[in-house]
Amino acid sequence: MKVEQPSDPPLNSCVDQLVVPGDTVLDLSTMSNQTIKLGEGLRQDSDKISVMKAGKLRLSKPNKYWVESSHKRYVPCVEDTILGIVVDSKPDNFLVDIKGPTLAFLPVLAFEGGTRRNIPKFEVGTLLYVRVVKANNSMNPELSCTDASGKAAEFGPLKDGYMFETSTGLARMLLSSPTCPVLEALGKKLSFEIAIGLNGRVWVNASSPATTVILSNAIMKSEFLSGTQQRIMVEKLMQKLQ
Amino acid sequence: MEVVRADGRTPNQLRPLACSRNLLHRAHGSARWSQGDTIVLAAVYGPKAGTRKGENPEKACIEVIWKPKTGQIGKEEKEYEMILKRTLQSICLLTIHPNTTTSIILQVVGDDGALLPCAINASCAALVDSGIPLKHLAVAICCGLTETGSVILDPTKAEEQKMRAFAYLVFPNSPLSVLPKAPSAVDDEPGIITSVTHGLMSECHYINCLGHGHAACAKISEFLRRSMQTQLPGDLSKST
Repeated sequence: MKVEQPSDPPLNSCVDQLVVPGDTVLDLSTMSNQTIKLGEGLRQDSDKISVMKAGKLRLSKPNKYWVESSHKRYVPCVEDTILGIVVDSKPDNFLVDIKGPTLAFLPVLAFEGGTRRNIPKFEVGTLLYVRVVKANNSMNPELSCTDASGKAAEFGPLKDGYMFETSTGLARMLLSSPTCPVLEALGKKLSFEIAIGLNGRVWVNASSPATTVILSNAIMKSEFLSGTQQRIMVEKLMQKLQ
Repeated sequence: MEVVRADGRTPNQLRPLACSRNLLHRAHGSARWSQGDTIVLAAVYGPKAGTRKGENPEKACIEVIWKPKTGQIGKEEKEYEMILKRTLQSICLLTIHPNTTTSIILQVVGDDGALLPCAINASCAALVDSGIPLKHLAVAICCGLTETGSVILDPTKAEEQKMRAFAYLVFPNSPLSVLPKAPSAVDDEPGIITSVTHGLMSECHYINCLGHGHAACAKISEFLRRSMQTQLPGDLSKST
């Protein structure tokens, strides 16, 4: 009995290859009656799917396509956890900068047990670990300091520590599972706290400034290294410490 | 009749191209494009919230600043800014991020002929580097018409001054496509984004320039695609 594979990519496909803006990657007229989910970097142009951003085309079976690329700016997506900086506070919202095209709004009640009586006071410049609740092209994105069930779950302001900016690709690599080699190697020798935002911001907190400097330099340099190269780099740094 | 060029190139030969991206630390996207001794550095900042006064808030706004190598900013620089703004507006998808401004700043590092095409190529590469959504890429070339009526590509400054006329042409890049090419499709009408001409040229010479320019742009388009290949991030994340 012949078993038909439902949604193999077409034979001359560009999956896992570099695509540049203007390339057509899917022809919808040949794939009938399928739901295809498009991620970032792709758009629908009547009967074909074309590329908007340069990067590697990825496919997650059965039907999710997206373009993987790394940039210095962030495009807000729902359910992303990011690090934002407060720039202003209004009666109803805090205005938060998330490295995106527009400022984001954080409602003053979006905290665990938040009521009109205990609104937190954030100064301009406070670093917050937040979750994106709504993200549309035409509106300012909305954030929240609780998870989906309303619990605080580590969201909120980050005290002390040091924040540095990276590209979105490096942030995704640091958050990938299994644990990124550089974080694993650093974690074996040093003790520190780290918060990674998918918008390209990383916050580290360690007991001494020297450790913080080593951590941030190691993470920033690991962007284009392979797993083994990252482990070797961390070993060399640790030897210099001793 | 073969035209002899000062640097020994054939009429259809371009100068060596070089492109490097992501060189500036603070800019959100940057690229340096060189064609021989003509070098332009482009930096992109954006998208940032808010549009300029008088611009349509339902679309993104593009702002271009041209910085010459020496001297003050004058009418020529303003003309380049206007041409670049219109060209880039037609390749960017302006409705994706409405009510934002993207600024593109171009710095001329060296000028040895074909400056505007070099700047257009640099700004397109910088836009790709910064992740601004684009419909397709723009590839630019300068075609010159010599006294004898033959077309030469990518002239140097000395050649430009001796020519009867020249044209800056910008074409969309040649895309990869999974669509099967229709058997009867013939590439008779290449799409063109921008055309700026200087000097007098007859219609058939112009059509000739268009043909040569389109063929050369396919090569530049291929070069642009290859230059992006070398800067893909490492493949550490496994696709789950």
